[in-house]
Amino acid sequence: MNVALWAGVLVIGGVGSVARFMVDRAVARRASGTFPIGTLTVNISGALLLGLVTGLTLSHGVALLAGTALLGAYTTFSTWMLETQRLAEERRIAPAVLNIVLSLVLGLAAAATGHWIAGLL
Amino acid sequence: MTGNLKLTAYLGERQRSGSAFVAEAMLDLFTERSVASSIMLRGVTGFGSRHVLRTDESLSLSEDPPITIAALDTDDVIGAVADDVAALLPRGLITVERVRLLGGPEAVAPDAGAVRVSIALGRNRRIGTTPGFAAVCDLLYRHRFAGATALLGVDGTVGGQRRRAHFFSRNLDVPLVIIAIGTAEQARAALPELLAMTIHPMVTAERIVVCKRDGVLLQRPPAVPAIDSHGRPLWQKLMIHTSESTQHDGQPIHRAIVGQLRQHRAAMGATVLRGVWGFHGDQAPHGDRFVQWGRQVPVTTTIIDTPENIARSFDLVDDLTAEHGLVTCETVPALLALGGPQARGGLELAVYP
Repeated sequence: MNVALWAGVLVIGGVGSVARFMVDRAVARRASGTFPIGTLTVNISGALLLGLVTGLTLSHGVALLAGTALLGAYTTFSTWMLETQRLAEERRIAPAVLNIVLSLVLGLAAAATGHWIAGLL
Repeated sequence: MTGNLKLTAYLGERQRSGSAFVAEAMLDLFTERSVASSIMLRGVTGFGSRHVLRTDESLSLSEDPPITIAALDTDDVIGAVADDVAALLPRGLITVERVRLLGGPEAVAPDAGAVRVSIALGRNRRIGTTPGFAAVCDLLYRHRFAGATALLGVDGTVGGQRRRAHFFSRNLDVPLVIIAIGTAEQARAALPELLAMTIHPMVTAERIVVCKRDGVLLQRPPAVPAIDSHGRPLWQKLMIHTSESTQHDGQPIHRAIVGQLRQHRAAMGATVLRGVWGFHGDQAPHGDRFVQWGRQVPVTTTIIDTPENIARSFDLVDDLTAEHGLVTCETVPALLALGGPQARGGLELAVYP
């Protein structure tokens, strides 16, 4: 661990969170329904990429930057929980449960797919 | 004759004017002009002329919520401040409406018909141990008003003094407004008790038409000509009072209304405000409880547009409020829409019967 790597985590983490905001907003604005599709898109695409990154044999530093910094900042557990709670507080139970189930199923599938793609490379 | 006017601006909270937020610049302007009463309300969802959805359902889309800022004073003060408000606002909607200030020496409630009574008071003022807004709602409920919604302000002026909410503060006199729907007779009967309250509320009345009550259609929005005798455009405002807990097709009615209006491009905008306390239909006044099954508070959806678009919007609203909801309509004599495909309307008040 050196200063350059820490600085890299800071900057790349920032890039990841900005990317999340842009993707989430772009998707959510286009969607007409009220299901939190933006966060779902971010988390699933993040899981796919993280599966890919961990599947590749990368050096420790690069794996830290790409996995923990970039994709860790890009994906969001807290927003997923918050938006599910917002649905539940308006008694929209079906979309709330769907948001949990769909994220888990698609997320696991995406991570596995990413890993599989990495194996092909 | 000098009367009173209410100016209302509908905008996005994060809009900037130079180096300051537009909303803040507006409140600074009202403070500078000692506007008698003004309030800034933060909405939960809405859209404007560009049909961009703002909503608290998604974290990213809640970063720029819709806000409503209303200012009330005499014709002279509001007339003078209106152009300056318009100059501050790059994008949004401004309306100017006539209101009747109740409780002054000459002003009395309208003689007949339906009215909306607005009661402004300090948000943490209490009568004994009862919060002021709850005491007012109880009084209105006793007088059999059709409904009332207490909306919490986050900033405003009271008697020309700035009253802004702070995180570490009692926020005693930060304004709160209760909007109540009733008849002129009910308003006249409730007025003495309201004005005698130790919380010193400011009470105004506006003439409205009740279109629907508890889902029952009483009257469609009245037909209004597109322009008055001087060629100035007339506009109409629909207000839909529903509860967080009442749903249409699996989603709260106010969310369904915003979704449908946006999908069908029926109106140039809508704003939903969530109350903290209130009642309509057969419920007693209530708010949220600490432990509960879904939220219970009342919400208010506002749509302002041309009479033609209001008629179209009302068809959608009518379907969505088949079982619940109190819907009112009124004429808006001046509207200025800024930053849309083209600027529309103006701030000169139209004349209507």
